Amino acid sequence: MNRSIFGRTAGRENARALSLLAMARIFAGRCSLTMVALIFTLAAAPAQAAPIQNIDLGKQAEVWFTEDHTVPIVAFSIALRAGSAYDPAGKAGLAAFAAAMMDEGAGNLDSKAFHQALADKAIGFSARVDRDYLVISISTLKENTAEALHLLQLALTRPHFDAEPLARVRTQIIQSLQQDQAEPPRVSSRAFMRAFFGGHAYAHSTTGEISSISAITAADLRGFAKSHWTRDGLKVSVAGDITAPVLQKLLGTTFTPVSARATQPLPPIGRLGQPGVHVIAMAVPQPTATFGLPGIMRADADFIPGYVANYILGGGGFSSRLTDEIRVKRGLTYGVSTSLSAMSKASIWVGSVATRADAIRQTVQVVKDTMKQFADSGPTQTELDDAKTYLTGSFPLAFASNSGTAAQLGAFQRQNLDIGYVARRNSLIQAVTLADVKRVAKRLFDPARLTVVIGGSPADGRAQPRSARPLPPGAPVMPPARPHTAPKSPEKPLAGPVTTPAPAPKAPKKP
Amino acid sequence: MAALPAGAQTRDRSVLSAPAPLNARQAGNNTFQFSLANGMQVLVIPDHRAPVATQMLWFKVGGVDDPPGISGLAHFFEHMMFRGTKAYPDDTFSQTIAKNGGETNAFTSHDYTAFYEQIAKDRLPLAMKLEADRLVNLDLSDAHVRPERDVVMEERRMRVDNDPQSLMAEQMRAALHLSHPYGRPVIGWAEEVRRIDRVSAQDFYDHHYAPNNAILVIAGDVTPEEVRVMAQDAYGKVPSRELQPRSESAEPPRLAETRMTIVRADARVPLVNRIYRVPSYSTARPGIAEALEVYAQQMGGDQTSVLYRVLVEQKKLASDVGASYDGYNRDAGEFSVYAVPRPGVKLDVLEKAMDQVLAATAANPPAASDLARAKTGLVASVTYRRDSQFALATAYGQALTIGLTVDDVNEWPARIRAVTADGVRKAARSLSRKEAVTAWLVPGASK
Repeated sequence: MNRSIFGRTAGRENARALSLLAMARIFAGRCSLTMVALIFTLAAAPAQAAPIQNIDLGKQAEVWFTEDHTVPIVAFSIALRAGSAYDPAGKAGLAAFAAAMMDEGAGNLDSKAFHQALADKAIGFSARVDRDYLVISISTLKENTAEALHLLQLALTRPHFDAEPLARVRTQIIQSLQQDQAEPPRVSSRAFMRAFFGGHAYAHSTTGEISSISAITAADLRGFAKSHWTRDGLKVSVAGDITAPVLQKLLGTTFTPVSARATQPLPPIGRLGQPGVHVIAMAVPQPTATFGLPGIMRADADFIPGYVANYILGGGGFSSRLTDEIRVKRGLTYGVSTSLSAMSKASIWVGSVATRADAIRQTVQVVKDTMKQFADSGPTQTELDDAKTYLTGSFPLAFASNSGTAAQLGAFQRQNLDIGYVARRNSLIQAVTLADVKRVAKRLFDPARLTVVIGGSPADGRAQPRSARPLPPGAPVMPPARPHTAPKSPEKPLAGPVTTPAPAPKAPKKP
Repeated sequence: MAALPAGAQTRDRSVLSAPAPLNARQAGNNTFQFSLANGMQVLVIPDHRAPVATQMLWFKVGGVDDPPGISGLAHFFEHMMFRGTKAYPDDTFSQTIAKNGGETNAFTSHDYTAFYEQIAKDRLPLAMKLEADRLVNLDLSDAHVRPERDVVMEERRMRVDNDPQSLMAEQMRAALHLSHPYGRPVIGWAEEVRRIDRVSAQDFYDHHYAPNNAILVIAGDVTPEEVRVMAQDAYGKVPSRELQPRSESAEPPRLAETRMTIVRADARVPLVNRIYRVPSYSTARPGIAEALEVYAQQMGGDQTSVLYRVLVEQKKLASDVGASYDGYNRDAGEFSVYAVPRPGVKLDVLEKAMDQVLAATAANPPAASDLARAKTGLVASVTYRRDSQFALATAYGQALTIGLTVDDVNEWPARIRAVTADGVRKAARSLSRKEAVTAWLVPGASK
């Protein structure tokens, strides 16, 4: 687990598995990793390779499984209702801190012994939190599956939170937060979320604040694990070289001792957004603007049309209108991308763009103009057709590996979709009409309501909020969490300071 | 068959310089290799789990081939490959791939440039047709060159100028490699990127982009015979070209360690970092690169590593440490170590402690358990890699492009297993401070 200022991965991933991709000195191509991550999805033609089975664990967990014996490994994606929205008041970052301690000692193993137990068997084990969920990813050689699940059980049921690893991890998190304060994309997205969600539990960064992390105690961590690391709402996706009966037995053994205590529901959400352009002054060559609007909830019938609309406007990499206007025509940025992201209590349409200081205001204006034009006229039939063939045709790419399959199924589970959704998904996209997208574009993309937060100083020198309403008093101008959907170098926790982002396309998390 | 690049002739110890059979042959580990009459090398890696395929087209050209004074040209040119041809103008390349449910991107290193598409297997012929088209028909007019140069400047600001650790690494490499072009950043120095124009781009295209300078790697739901027919159909017609010989720079001796202290307001956490110039998989005698790989894993690969245990857990001087070996290069490799001090710990104290750990490993062979764990992790990585078409295709493409062979890739796990405790100790002893740049990154007011 290299939990460092270079990559905040909480867990031991099988970085060596992709070490060839983590090559130093490579410049990833003309498309940023973020964009690649955002555009990775589903496709038109063939169905995915293996069927998805339901493994019955009674009330313990919902388990989806794809059996494949091509490569002798098994990949797991495990989600618990223990995301940052459950952080108690004044303890921002508690969920993430607890997750970062998952492999730092449990049961009869202290921190060192736990790490060695993983490394001796080359088991990949990582834990991260988003706002709703703690997501644990495990990959293991098939012969070590039982050992991997045993370690997971220890971590969930008998975590230590010993003094030595606690102090060490606290320092690592704080140093990482300190460095984030100098990075425009993090400053911008963190302040954006705070402005957008106001007083709600989604407002604070998953990683917390330096002050809150400094004050968290072992008792806080123990208390959080006890009340939130439970199998209430537990979701498990598995792909790889194992059979259903063996898996069922192993998972039953693993989760039986996990607490069944119910988690309390998250509070409902109020009004979203603080329209206007807010500036967090920073002396940097390239500011970042994060912008967003209220989105569409996953259960809303307009979600899929909204997803298609986002693809056309800003989600589709080189196919998107925003990329065409800002990068291709004007050369203003290396990357602009947007996504429609539905969480359990709110949905958000959010994007970001970085450009030189004397062009950032112009660039934000192009974003708004492009939104308005799209809201007014909607897509062309060709744009819609192209979006549909991409979104349906690329679907099988998400199922081309065990780790990809487990991650994609896990993402569907966390959206509360049923197991039949995977088979249905492409027909839902095919059914979207021009009228649907026009309606949704008008509903979504209102530039007057856009909340924009610029991290960095526009070259006109204006560093004060331009909007009528300033940021909430005391809103710390703090580094944002690394976006969960697009970690800086997702498959490269071993990377030292000298490596550049791997060119690997990153897995999905798409509707 | 047209002439291989001069570099390839002298450096490649592989099938690449041997007469290539026209029919696919089993190259081991379920890989198949053949070549086309125009010199394009082809490698096929079947994987039938999902009806998709990954195409990677690797060119033996990279940052080292940037003309003097125009660093960044190879990387810039990679961008230009997406700017359109007569048949597929502007963004039609990317849009056609997307329309067909595919993904596409590219990357550039000092030694190579690679382009890829991931797409449903029945669209693979289309992806090949598009790649073959832009191999010869690119439109390099000013209207395309100028905005893309601005895009690259933004990319540089994002990746380097806004990131003190990247700036530090750039400065360290410039010092480490003396006159070798590994010292120039792949993305280019800002002033030199501004000099790129239509003429330099066209010249680069004419002398480096050709089938006889390319290696095609196809992984996925395909058979070697299918690929042979498709590749012949798409690429077979593209004529070979006379290539500009690759840069063959010397690596002059270093007579002293280089040290630097970089003070930056945008650095909020101090750091000590050292990069040693070491042999690579291409230049090392058998077993040496593998020993460096095992040594790096054992010293700083993860939280069970020696540096982590001693500096982070026991002495509590560091909050994070790491070591890595970058050996997949045509010329020198790099061995790196870094450490982040805990609050209040001075960098000189931390560096001294780091050097004590390194010295101890040079004096004594590693503990059997440490050696075994490092080897287990490295060997298992090959099994995990098989889970990803992209990772597999990358491993082979990269190896072939820098002059290694398919056998080198396939035998790597056995070679790692063969590394001995004494071999690791020798690897540790081989690290010389004369062959290194040490840098401190210090938070403070920028000048």
